[in-house]
Amino acid sequence: MQTLDYDIIIIGCGPAGSTTARIAAQRGLRVLLVDKRQELGAPIQCSGALSAHALEEADVLPEAEFVLEAVYGFGIYNQAGEQTTIDYRQIKPDKYGAAPDKKPLGYVVDRRRFDRYLVTLAERAGVEVWLKTEGLGYQPLEDGSCEVRLRKFNREINLRTHVLVGADGLQSQVGKWSGLHTHIKMTELASCLQFIVDGVETNGLLEIITGHEWAPGGYAWVFPKGHGYAEVGLGVIRTMTPENAQWHLDHFISNSFLRDRLRNSRILEVQGGGVPLAAPLRTQYAANLILVGDAARHVNPITGGGLHTALTGGLIAGSFLADLISADQQPSAKNLRGYQERWLEQLGNKMWQLYATKRDIFKIKDIPERDQMLYNTMAEYFNPFSVYKKV
Amino acid sequence: MAHKQPVIFQIGWNACINCGACVAVCPKEAGFISDFDTIAVNTPCDIACMVCEDICPVTTITHVRIADPAK
Repeated sequence: MQTLDYDIIIIGCGPAGSTTARIAAQRGLRVLLVDKRQELGAPIQCSGALSAHALEEADVLPEAEFVLEAVYGFGIYNQAGEQTTIDYRQIKPDKYGAAPDKKPLGYVVDRRRFDRYLVTLAERAGVEVWLKTEGLGYQPLEDGSCEVRLRKFNREINLRTHVLVGADGLQSQVGKWSGLHTHIKMTELASCLQFIVDGVETNGLLEIITGHEWAPGGYAWVFPKGHGYAEVGLGVIRTMTPENAQWHLDHFISNSFLRDRLRNSRILEVQGGGVPLAAPLRTQYAANLILVGDAARHVNPITGGGLHTALTGGLIAGSFLADLISADQQPSAKNLRGYQERWLEQLGNKMWQLYATKRDIFKIKDIPERDQMLYNTMAEYFNPFSVYKKV
Repeated sequence: MAHKQPVIFQIGWNACINCGACVAVCPKEAGFISDFDTIAVNTPCDIACMVCEDICPVTTITHVRIADPAK
């Protein structure tokens, strides 16, 4: 295969992009990773919760540099406040706990530091990283390579590569360049708002509050955030409510069964984002191009969690591209379909099953019945003996 | 999609939290974004579906209608 400027160019330095880059570089590819931002991980659009298993799988140690707080389980509430507690410190006390010989179930991470840490790992693996570098477009060439147009500190640069990886998040422009249908329906994008607060006690659990009254189409949450802080937020499907997420969050804090606990909360940060409670993209590849992470909607459609799936997607993408390029195979759309097939086999088929479950819940027109189904599903999903395959 | 009177979006930057939800839900072609990663504010939108306004968690996107250049 001919020598180009880089074997792969990745747009987006989030967890999916940096993991793809690290794995590909470890396998010997010459990788350029770019991001238009000056500060990685910001603005924060995510709660930062991920499982210990996800880090292990991605070969990332839970460093104090980015871990805000360890978590040990879940508290799932229905609208009235009835609770299902799934505390692994009680379910498997020999394995989970804060003692040195035990381990947490997961972590809440600082996304700014986590994203920077993952990029550091990629750089140490040999990846070249350019910040303040924005993607402008790409063009497949007749020789089987492609040209990527970038703007770095106001200077336009054209580079040739085998494969462009779009890891540019839910707002992916890279996918649109290739004509992939990346925009998401209103009915499947949760409009989310969260406050980082002081003055709210937490107990090492990720607390999830269901119920149409508080978060129509989604759920509310109270997560521990380290140093005595907490994260209080929610996501709503706007086609299911006339009010915006801000109204619902105020309503939840002021009127829910947690109101006494939340009454004295003092807001330290305001964050928000769109979270797809949707199916993965049906087509995540084109000639000389693949999408990974949120850009390909690698997000759990039940929980809205996207960190684990971003890391796993990055592992799959990085290893697939290393296999493809080291085997001298052309990065045609036909050959890159193999990436999607590998992703489906390792992760995607489970996500499609979860999407079917989510769709069945929200087909129910009767609100109390739907609320009950969502509560039961959430409680079941996080149960260690769950029938659901966790992603 | 039915052709509607084009609009230009306006963003109340004081309330915008840069969440990107408006871009994620936007059916326009690539590049219909502002320098602050919101939907474009200086380019007419001929789809005018308004889903960006609806998805905004803090309702800080509004629009003004402009003359349809096709008419």
